[in-house]
Amino acid sequence: MGANWFQREFLQPRRLVFNVLFYGVQLFLFGSNLHALQETNKKLSALNGLKWSVWTSRGAGLVLAFDGGMILVPMLRNIIRVVRPRLTWLFPADENIWFHRQVAYSMAFWAMVHTTAHYVNFFNVELTQVRPELAIDIHYHQAGGITGHFMLLIMLLMYTTAHHKIRHQCFEAFWYTHHLAFFFMIGLYTHATGCFVRDSADPDYIPTFPFYSTQHCLGYESWRFTIWPGIIYFGERVWREIRARRATRLSKVLVHPSGAMELRIIKPSFKYVAGQWLFIQVPEISGLQWHPFTITSAPEDPYVSVHIRQVGDWTYALGERVGAGPQVVAAMTKEAMKGMEKDDSIYGTRGNFVEIDSSNRPLPAVRIDGPYGAPAEDVFNVEVAVLIGAGIGVTPFASILKHIWYRQKRGTLGSLKRVEFFWVCRDAPSFGWFQTLLQEVEAAQADPNFLRINIYLTQKVSEDMLWNIAVNDAGAEYDPLTLLRTRTMFGRPDWKSIYSRISQAIQTGQYLPGANSQLKTRVGTYFCGPGVLAKAIKEACQAANTSQIEFAFAKEHF
Amino acid sequence: MGNLIWHEYARYVALSATVYTIWASFWGFYFRKFFFDFVKGTLRNPGGVQPANSDTIFVDIIVKAPVIQILSMLLGFVYLALDYPAPFLKNTAIHRSFPIRIVLLLLQTFFAILYYQGTNGALYSFIAACCYIRAQMRGEYMQEAKDNKGRGGKA
Repeated sequence: MGANWFQREFLQPRRLVFNVLFYGVQLFLFGSNLHALQETNKKLSALNGLKWSVWTSRGAGLVLAFDGGMILVPMLRNIIRVVRPRLTWLFPADENIWFHRQVAYSMAFWAMVHTTAHYVNFFNVELTQVRPELAIDIHYHQAGGITGHFMLLIMLLMYTTAHHKIRHQCFEAFWYTHHLAFFFMIGLYTHATGCFVRDSADPDYIPTFPFYSTQHCLGYESWRFTIWPGIIYFGERVWREIRARRATRLSKVLVHPSGAMELRIIKPSFKYVAGQWLFIQVPEISGLQWHPFTITSAPEDPYVSVHIRQVGDWTYALGERVGAGPQVVAAMTKEAMKGMEKDDSIYGTRGNFVEIDSSNRPLPAVRIDGPYGAPAEDVFNVEVAVLIGAGIGVTPFASILKHIWYRQKRGTLGSLKRVEFFWVCRDAPSFGWFQTLLQEVEAAQADPNFLRINIYLTQKVSEDMLWNIAVNDAGAEYDPLTLLRTRTMFGRPDWKSIYSRISQAIQTGQYLPGANSQLKTRVGTYFCGPGVLAKAIKEACQAANTSQIEFAFAKEHF
Repeated sequence: MGNLIWHEYARYVALSATVYTIWASFWGFYFRKFFFDFVKGTLRNPGGVQPANSDTIFVDIIVKAPVIQILSMLLGFVYLALDYPAPFLKNTAIHRSFPIRIVLLLLQTFFAILYYQGTNGALYSFIAACCYIRAQMRGEYMQEAKDNKGRGGKA
């Protein structure tokens, strides 16, 4: 990271506002509790005898209630999907997982404060016997203590399995463990049912809901508020389940030589726009797991397709099930390596995909849930769209490029005049399927100037590879690496010069014929990839702004 | 379960458990209490539970002098140095040994369960030890760190 902590957190206006609001609210809640306690001092005078430890635990408890209410909000995927396009100006709704994590970190911190304070509380309760109780009884025989310790244990398991390393290694461990959230939320809502905060020596239980009298039990009653996100979230999960059960059929499985499987799914009730993603479930492999994938088909396609690389447990199992296991792919690769001039690239082969024969064994049932994520419709509001995909971040552009191509055929491109597509990756061959797609799109271009594909390979070039390129590349019609007419470039792109070239070309009128009459030309950059690169591109973008040409930048999480 | 590499997972649990235990032992210095004093103890008002006579030894090393808490804290720091790891332990045989970790974690469990604040730390340490035991049983081993080649997948 180029910027230091202070620059990141405080010198970006949006982040600063977030920090002030989010942490400000928490500190305010923590502090306001002191004030509130003094007002009700008479009723809670016995408790206040415990002094700072009880103030701390109650304050932290209030903040935890706030966090507990917020933790599920960024997970309301369907609501966010609907709300997002209207609120992009206000907050980056795509950052929902990021926000979820921030809440979780706060929660861990305040849980530490709260628990530490309570250990002191109970110690002193036992010592002074303000209530005739043992510390151990409060910890392990009363609702507050039991749910509290239980929530801490669940947090330990959830936080540790949610670490990005574990999540990538074994998504199942993360997925299943994170569903302990159900019990965590139950624990949160019932944490105060033990009536710990009271003005009487013994808890005042009543036979009707909520089973303690609010006259003598003086907790925050925070569950009345925090339960709503929980209920909405639960409802959303039910709704997702209902939606997923609608008729879905896996119509075709295509295997691309690089090992990627393309699943073509037909689900009439599934409506989406380019650049979104979905969850997929194959009940035969696992009846509980949903796996996220980017949609690679355009909305105009009669099917929904996803490209799945066989890299993890679940994807291997899926490959085996549909008959596209590693051996099949390996055999295919070998087959293709024998000859075929076009495949004479240094990485072995690509060539055409193979459709899996499903006559002897029917394809498995699949269920899909979605779509989620940002639509990329803004692309059609600008004159020049600069699409930049880095690494795996290139996948949403498959759908977007196809979609643009369809709109181009129909002549409904809106104001879009040109598309510059950049693909920055370490090793292009691992995305063989994407190259196939690019080939199709490139070959279908009638106007050679409309779509320009720029591929940058950032990995270190070995000597063998260098020779291969030098020998094969000279005078060949297609690039030896990507089999595209476009040449592959090596090293990292120099964004500043790229943007200044675009800017100059527009100004001299070569780039967009007839654009001179326009007052302002809008160049929209749509980026998907790691944050460091995003920053560099954003800076280059801003630097290229002129009075006639407006460069805009959008980082999408798709 | 999946491709979970148990020792990598165990590390996160162990570090969490150890940090918790160190924090708990710190508070144990000030609010000294033998966790099991309720067994045959007598309750006084005020004064709380008075441990039974058979527990004198624990009262000596936990309440009268926080020996166990100090040991627990020291052990916690040793464990952090081993598993985080401290720079001087990186790439050593000690750092790659699971049995050492398991023994230290079980020892930490034993210390932490004795004093009032340590219960959760003890439980978590025990879970971490179980994860390391599982890693050991599955025959996992820690690879020597590779040279810094940057992170994959980033262009």
